Amino acid sequence: MALMARRIPTTDVLVTFMGAPHRTDLTTTVLRLVQSMLEQGGRVQVWACGYATMLTQQSLGEFKPRDLADWSTRHLSTATIVQEMLRAFPDQLYWYGCRFCSDDRGATDHLPEIAMRAPHAYAANLAATGKTVLIGVI
Amino acid sequence: MAGQAQVLAIVDRGYRGAIEKQFVDTLYLVRELHRQMGGMDILLRGQAVSYAARAARVAPLRFGDRVVETLSDPRRDVRALLDAGIRVRAEEPGLLASGMTGGEQLLEGVELIGAQAAAESWSEYRMICFL
Repeated sequence: MALMARRIPTTDVLVTFMGAPHRTDLTTTVLRLVQSMLEQGGRVQVWACGYATMLTQQSLGEFKPRDLADWSTRHLSTATIVQEMLRAFPDQLYWYGCRFCSDDRGATDHLPEIAMRAPHAYAANLAATGKTVLIGVI
Repeated sequence: MAGQAQVLAIVDRGYRGAIEKQFVDTLYLVRELHRQMGGMDILLRGQAVSYAARAARVAPLRFGDRVVETLSDPRRDVRALLDAGIRVRAEEPGLLASGMTGGEQLLEGVELIGAQAAAESWSEYRMICFL
């Protein structure tokens, strides 16, 4: 029996996010860009590839480890931030993860809201958007 | 009073993940290395000189419905280094490239140093590391 292909909701913009976190401010820039488009009513899908797949792992937990120099302040993990964006903008934001890149990096347990996709399925995401922005390299 | 630090840490790449690092950035690491290595001086070069820009501010960012106010703040971190007794110098070419015109635009306590003098100072240390 043939597997039914996932339906990819149509969006205005696809952000293909390939750059690694913890090297530059790219992650901050991408999240700001996405937030800004959403606040203007845009529909956005993010395809996380390469090390950008690390951002939505369940193992990151709700918060980062505590700051030993400031024990009382908590810092949200990137997984929580992405999750809160998805909850704040239902039917506007979709977040996909590249299964190959994720498996290749041992990041196999993602937020339930993240749809993992095989690399060959990327074309369907491309077909479901008006414009594509590709940011960073794997 | 502690003597001359034996380790010089050079920081020349800045802004390496405001949202994913937040507090635990290079300068946070410096504070711990300073404690464990028995003293460390810092040289800010290139883009990292702007870490010590007196007038710079980090604005909170909104993600979803959440306003995040705990982003990386290099000025806060440089002040923490100074408070920990770490000598912080900023190299002049990086200062000029950042659009600043003089040492008075740096945080109080941060010393401005020319590129040649900075390079000559390397020989005063047992260890140079790039962070």
